[in-house]
Amino acid sequence: MGKDFCALFKKDLRMLVSGRFFLMAAGFLVLYTAYVNLGYVRFMQMPPYHVYLYDPAGTQTETSSLVQNVPSLKAMDAALLSDANGVGLDAGSGDVRVVLYAGAEHIDHHRSDYALSLLQPSAGSAPEILGTNTPEQKARKEITCELLFFELAAVGFLGIAAVLFKEKDMGVIRVHAVLPVHKELFLLSKLAIFLLSDLAFALLLTLLNLGVGDGAAVLPAVLLQTAVLSLIMALAGLLCALLLKDFRQFTLAYLVIAIFAATPVFLSANTSVKFDWIGLHPFYHVYMGLKNAYFGMAVSPVYDIGAAGAIVLLFLMVRPAFYREIGKEG
Amino acid sequence: MKGLQYQLKSVLRDKFCLMTFLLPILAAAALNFMGSIDLSTLGELHFGVLENDLPPQTVTWLERYGPVTAYGTQEELADAVNEPSTNVIGVKADGESLKTAVSGDELDIFQQAAATLPVLYEQRKDAEQAEVQVLERPDILENFQGIFIPAVLIVAMFMGCTFNAVNIISEKDDGVAFINEILPMTPGRYIFQKVVTGFLFGSLSSVITACICFRLSWQNLWIMLVLIVLSSFVAALMGLFIGRFSEGLMTGVVYIKIVMLVFIAVPIVCALLGVNGLPAAICSIVPSRPAFDGIMALSDGNMGTAVKDAGILAVHCVSWFALYVLISAPHKRL
Repeated sequence: MGKDFCALFKKDLRMLVSGRFFLMAAGFLVLYTAYVNLGYVRFMQMPPYHVYLYDPAGTQTETSSLVQNVPSLKAMDAALLSDANGVGLDAGSGDVRVVLYAGAEHIDHHRSDYALSLLQPSAGSAPEILGTNTPEQKARKEITCELLFFELAAVGFLGIAAVLFKEKDMGVIRVHAVLPVHKELFLLSKLAIFLLSDLAFALLLTLLNLGVGDGAAVLPAVLLQTAVLSLIMALAGLLCALLLKDFRQFTLAYLVIAIFAATPVFLSANTSVKFDWIGLHPFYHVYMGLKNAYFGMAVSPVYDIGAAGAIVLLFLMVRPAFYREIGKEG
Repeated sequence: MKGLQYQLKSVLRDKFCLMTFLLPILAAAALNFMGSIDLSTLGELHFGVLENDLPPQTVTWLERYGPVTAYGTQEELADAVNEPSTNVIGVKADGESLKTAVSGDELDIFQQAAATLPVLYEQRKDAEQAEVQVLERPDILENFQGIFIPAVLIVAMFMGCTFNAVNIISEKDDGVAFINEILPMTPGRYIFQKVVTGFLFGSLSSVITACICFRLSWQNLWIMLVLIVLSSFVAALMGLFIGRFSEGLMTGVVYIKIVMLVFIAVPIVCALLGVNGLPAAICSIVPSRPAFDGIMALSDGNMGTAVKDAGILAVHCVSWFALYVLISAPHKRL
């Protein structure tokens, strides 16, 4: 049994190598790492609102260093037009007048009051810090988690299905019906190889983008969640490959997953947009499991049981589909 | 013409192929529906307070700045503040003044807001008297939708690429490709037939998507149509390239994915970073970038840029077509 498994495993490995599967994974790893380190971390910055003051008579003497003086009203208009989130203060006519471009109503209130407060001398008390992450650490964790989820759920899924459709087309699956090996080994070797490659991918992606120190701290939890997601996607890929007729049909199922399943999950999990029905979305829980792992937050045992249940259920669905496929007449 | 009929027939019979083209349209409809969700609240301030900690008038004052949520215990409040997907600022009473708490991983803008909140509270009387002039914001991309819609359009336009590539690869797998080679058909006719099928469906799907998403004047409509037609054509050509260079389904999928990723990522990243000058020119080598740029320019009402982008796309069409003909020409003599 062990020897059979090894032989099947080696065959799958060779097939993936010849299909450039690992090359693609390595390519994506490089692409993602470059994106995180060169693009995302720099891009995700949002400085406080700029405040522009027009004060020809010099009536405001105790302004904060965050206020930028402008020489004329025209210069202030130009500054506001190019920086629509900025706030202008016009002290030219005695009383200070606030000028700003409309945004959301609540924020407008805050912007104008904030700008006025900068004209008064006052020692703002530093807020209490409750968390342990810096903004950069948070940005890195967030984007790494998103990329890993996307890679496993969308890109990995497509790769798995492509491999399986190829085997199905070549009749390899049916050949297993006559081979003197345990039938489940075929499924197990597939799951094992995708699981191992996904784990290696997650390991490298996490260490490269979070740094060794931060990465190692969250790694055990991340690898556990990666394993859950990888098994679910591999089983779903197997199921699609066994049930759908050809690869073109599969691309549709894939697009549905990529667009409709992933978008609301990303929106709900990363922004303050919350949908009421998102709790019913299975991928939301998987994504949150992964995200909680990255941020070192506790995952509820209900989720663990649910994930294990989902994997078992999928396996029980794949088995009859597999037997049906190998039982078919060629 | 007859060959084209066969091509169309085989496409129309494949229900799933048709549905791939419908997907961007569905996504556009979903986006339109999503428009009712106010994405402008994303940058809003959120406050967390303890129940019965702050006087009611202070809570009312906070609500001028953003939604306030009350939590029962200290731990619940700390969890809400630490929750990575939100930017909740914790607010507690501190004698006559306020004390704020943040997680420390927020963007500067939220940390600054938290640091200055006690000051704003002290000066709330003065602030109420100040005169505020709120200007109408010029109509440029009010929220994130402005970037979502061109992205969906790009997907729709470049759907023809996926379609053509998969079509050719499956022909290769079935052996139809070999039969095609001995058929009395010139490479030119073959290219024409393949391009036209992917192109027709790609542009049809983009036109419908554009109709759902955009309200354009007649003049802009023409430029939009030109952009759609040109980029669908380039996409269909790209599909031919992928189909030609991939040996099997798996490598084909890898190539499609890489091309799609580059096509979607490059213009969006360029738009977000505001790339100009030489890097922008280099990015324009990816045909989806002028297309995206053109759509963005159109929604800003900037005709000049849109026409220029249409020109760049036209250059793309000609050069990719020439390249394809060039690499398939020696093949004929074999």
